[in-house]
Amino acid sequence: MNDGPLIVQSDKTLLLEIDHERAADCRKAIAPFAELERSPEHIHTYRLTPLGLWNARAAGHDAEQVVDTLLEYSRYAVPHALLVDVAETMARYGRLRLEKHPTHGLVLSSTDRPVLEEVLRAKKVQGMLGARIDDDSVVVHGSERGNLKQALLKLGWPAEDFAGYVDGESHPIELDQADWTLRDYQREAAESFWHGGSGVVVLPCGAGKTLVGAAAMAEAKATTLILVTNTVSARQWKDELVRRTSLTAEEIGEYSGAVKEVRPVTIATYQVLTTKRKGVYPHLELLDARDWGLIVYDEVHLLPAPIFRMTADLQARRRIGLTATLVREDGREGDVFSLIGPKRYDAPWKDIEAQGWIAPADCVEVRVTLPASERLVYATAEPEERYRLAACTHHKVDVVRDLVARHAGRPTLVIGQYLDQLDELSAALDAPVIKGDTSVAERQRLFEAFRSGELGLLVVSKVANFSIDLPSAEVAIQVSGSFGSRQEEAQRLGRLLRPGEGGKVARFYTIVSRDTVDAEFAQNRQRFLAEQGYAYRIVDAEDLGTLAP
Amino acid sequence: MRALDQLDRLELFVLDALVVAGQTPDARLEELVRADRQAVRAAVERLADLALAWQSTSGLRPLTGVADVLQAGPADARSGLQTASADPLPLAEAARRIAEVSPAARAMLEHVCDAGGEATTGSARHTVLPADATTPAEELLARRLLVPRGSVVVVPGEVGIALRGGHTTTEPVDDVPEVATTERDAALVDRTAAGAAFELVRRVELLLDHWGTTPPSALRSGGLGVRELRAAAGYLQLDEATTALVVEVAWGAGLIATAADADGNPAWAPTDQFDQWSSRSSQERWAALVSAWLESPRMPGLVGSRDPAGKPWNALSPELSGVHMAETRRMTLAALAALPAGQVLAAGTGLPSLVALLTWQRPRRPRTRADQVAWTVAEAATLGVTGLGGVASYAGPLLDGDPAGASAALADLLPAPVDHVLLQADLTAVAPGPLETALARQLQLVADVESRGGATVYRFTSGSVRRALDVGWSAAELHAFLGSVSRTPVPQPLTYLVDDTVRTFGTVRVGHAEAFLRADDESALTELLHHPRAASLGLRRIAPTVVISTTPLDVLLPRLRELGAAPVVEGADGSVHVARRDVVRARTPRDRRGAGLRSARDAARVQQVVAAVRAGDVAASHRPASSTALTPSGSLAALREAVEVGATVLIGYVDNHGVRSERVVDPRSVEGGVLTARDHRTGEERTFAVHRIGLVRPIDDGAAS
Repeated sequence: MNDGPLIVQSDKTLLLEIDHERAADCRKAIAPFAELERSPEHIHTYRLTPLGLWNARAAGHDAEQVVDTLLEYSRYAVPHALLVDVAETMARYGRLRLEKHPTHGLVLSSTDRPVLEEVLRAKKVQGMLGARIDDDSVVVHGSERGNLKQALLKLGWPAEDFAGYVDGESHPIELDQADWTLRDYQREAAESFWHGGSGVVVLPCGAGKTLVGAAAMAEAKATTLILVTNTVSARQWKDELVRRTSLTAEEIGEYSGAVKEVRPVTIATYQVLTTKRKGVYPHLELLDARDWGLIVYDEVHLLPAPIFRMTADLQARRRIGLTATLVREDGREGDVFSLIGPKRYDAPWKDIEAQGWIAPADCVEVRVTLPASERLVYATAEPEERYRLAACTHHKVDVVRDLVARHAGRPTLVIGQYLDQLDELSAALDAPVIKGDTSVAERQRLFEAFRSGELGLLVVSKVANFSIDLPSAEVAIQVSGSFGSRQEEAQRLGRLLRPGEGGKVARFYTIVSRDTVDAEFAQNRQRFLAEQGYAYRIVDAEDLGTLAP
Repeated sequence: MRALDQLDRLELFVLDALVVAGQTPDARLEELVRADRQAVRAAVERLADLALAWQSTSGLRPLTGVADVLQAGPADARSGLQTASADPLPLAEAARRIAEVSPAARAMLEHVCDAGGEATTGSARHTVLPADATTPAEELLARRLLVPRGSVVVVPGEVGIALRGGHTTTEPVDDVPEVATTERDAALVDRTAAGAAFELVRRVELLLDHWGTTPPSALRSGGLGVRELRAAAGYLQLDEATTALVVEVAWGAGLIATAADADGNPAWAPTDQFDQWSSRSSQERWAALVSAWLESPRMPGLVGSRDPAGKPWNALSPELSGVHMAETRRMTLAALAALPAGQVLAAGTGLPSLVALLTWQRPRRPRTRADQVAWTVAEAATLGVTGLGGVASYAGPLLDGDPAGASAALADLLPAPVDHVLLQADLTAVAPGPLETALARQLQLVADVESRGGATVYRFTSGSVRRALDVGWSAAELHAFLGSVSRTPVPQPLTYLVDDTVRTFGTVRVGHAEAFLRADDESALTELLHHPRAASLGLRRIAPTVVISTTPLDVLLPRLRELGAAPVVEGADGSVHVARRDVVRARTPRDRRGAGLRSARDAARVQQVVAAVRAGDVAASHRPASSTALTPSGSLAALREAVEVGATVLIGYVDNHGVRSERVVDPRSVEGGVLTARDHRTGEERTFAVHRIGLVRPIDDGAAS
């Protein structure tokens, strides 16, 4: 028996005991090939997936290293079948290669003829390939590079891509680090992205993903297309780039519903790209408007389906995806990886918090009991109505009022899903509300007032879920959400995590109606954060008085 | 014959030499066998021990009958020489005579000798002088190198020996095949094997625990059905072959047996021995399983394939055993255990070389041995007897029949049982090692298992907590349990989860009642409850205005009336049922039909009868004077003709009941031995089997209608 920190389970999960003295070394050693799945307080769970193992191969690790690492750190005997499986899975990578051929263009070639034959016979792949050149290679239609890679991944024979990236139109971009410096993890993230070529960087909200994007642009030194979720976020990107890089406002264009500029660095919203008129996407040509050298996908977990398909055609360009929560409620995380690229950098939230780059947060679930009359209405309601009924109980308004009073003087956000409820809260708390129909100018004015401290309380709908930089916010009260969405919960907490002065501790309240679907959804919503190590406390509304302010 | 099966190749050849040479002194025998003398001497001793040979005054003699058995054995385990003549030529003389013959004769002699030592000579003369010999056969016969025996000629043993240079074989027979090996660190072998051993114990326990609550049904033949095996494999997350092994090993150790399930059908269930077994330590449990496996004649490797009759082999079926399996298994493991330390079976070539070694050791074993060796090697790896192809050090004592020593040696390699878990705020608990059995069972009750292996991950849900409450845990017990097993403080959400589940537990109560009594007047119910004669009614008050009873309504109602109450019966929808005595009425007899209907029916019946009679008349009028039956081909031709011209024919037909009848029919078609025709009697189209038609005679239409 070996006294290692790692326990290798036969179902391919790795349990890392983090209080162990060798835990840090072990984490570094397994990070290249194992996916971090959960990171609660004592034991972190990693998982061995084919994708992870192939990424490790792509990064230059071989099966022997992986097996040695497992054997070295494992506390107990490692299941033999698992080691065999690791070796076999990794041996599948690289049997097929995508290469540039001087005369035939993009070519799929193989060192293992049976594999090539097997792949050529797969129905899904046939349409993407052209003429056979010789026994070991076949022409690939240029536009199918991404689709082919994705299809091969599904067949279990991932291709190693040697075809490289187009450099794009060169444009000078430098980071302007006169009054700030890139943090270690930001630099590591940007570097590992650049070495990998394309991929996804996962960092907690408030950890400065924009700067990772900027650093990547500074590496690329080429024209860049940045895709963001909404206009407010686009403006924030622009401000940040002007402030942190050598770019000037004139070099940065905004391509949104309101303005349509194409500049060396262009920031477009997902929404405008996916606008469909008479069956065509009129703004898609933006993707070809310039010879982009880098494409940045902000909040890549929200990447809409049409963009997925377009991305498949953009495989020759470098792509970086940025996100805090790579959980998609539609379960298409795998598509993000195969289209944008593998996960290049991932940092547990609690690690960044320990380094002081994001604020610590205290999560509290407040349970309210529905009054008997409302419970009766709830019990007899149609199933689809139940969540709305439970989430919008009038009782919550009282609790919110109480909480706001307790945190008077600290900038507070009240976040909800249902507009009626938000209006009711807005009236009850005498605070302005931001909803989908609030104009961009009005939104910006309110956000600015909140940032400057002029406004201490703001009621917002889901429009503020993402990419809204509100560094001053210290308290958030969530009254309802889109059902059991894990990433929404994480993003909302993320609004609070921009570190402030004087070691602020953010408070995140979720108000939940007891014994209803509201409580069930809340459990699901909290899973991502709980797995990141955020421990929720549960408090009854009646006991709020005992809670330390 | 049994004794012969126990011999290795060398011993068989020694015995063979003895049979060929007849009574032989030891020293001579040692010369005859092309092998190391020492080894031959040892072989001779073993033969004598087994009483396959015995020392007479003038030398060693084989047991009578051995020759025949040897002859019937595999060809590569005997020399193929005939026995020596009663008066054998001296070896030197035989060699001299062989040297004399022509090359053609020598070639013939060699060929006959190698092909069994027996031939027919055709026209060759059997008694010739060497000088007169004209053919090679005659040359050999003349020199007594071929000797007539009965109707054939044979090469006598001594000649064969001379031909093979003084030995019974041309090749040495004592070259033991070597097992192909590679080097492996012994500690790594042990670790790997111990991992497998731990997994085996865990899987057996897991599966049997599962079967304890949901026993799979047993086949009528006694086995475990394919579907049940697949379900078990899914449950264990294993392939079916390995699952079959796990099941067989558990059965071999007496941990499962058939029992009647709830419906009385036979099902596989854990035995009471399983309870004893599971209370022991992992290493002891492993030793118990593997000891049973070592001695078992079972062949789980067959599961998934089909027997010669095409029936799939089922796990646990009684036929799934082989007489030689246990011996082959032991020998295979012994061969592996005999490898020098640090050497293990080579990955690709190891197995065939192991089979070759075993073939040498027991040449007379059946052909399936290659499979059996392969199974043994695979099973041993799964069971943790071997790791990476080498026998684990702790398994050595077990092979020598010392399970206690083996389990003691294994103990150091197994993860030590832990008595605590780590509770986390995401409502999971991780046991960083195998839990003590009792603790594991308790945890499995209050939490769902998410991941198994060296460690176990549990998840608490309201469902799992409720499960614990269902079996009688209280909130205080739950909290105390969590507090005692956790090394870390119990996270607040978990405490809350328990409390919250307890709060809603039992809000709705369910019970059994045959009838209820409801009254707005509480005093009426109270009066009833306290009535001295109401005790037998099983009344219980569940609310001020509601009383339930365990007495069925039809008994309760008259009893209540006897007690002086005046109850009314309430329907399922709450409406009052008025009880009135049922008045008995019989049913009116059926025969009340109208006269018109009856007469119409009679008319129709008359018509049918007339039609049948007429058809019969037509048939009768065409009855042949002499009813000679037609042959089937004859009637076929006649029918075809009738179909073509569209004629009406009379046929003689024997129906299904063997009743012969004559029908007038209009043939429509004849196909596939079946005639389709319209029968005049019924007016419907029907089919007749042609072979049952004994008579076909055309009639004209006029007569038929």
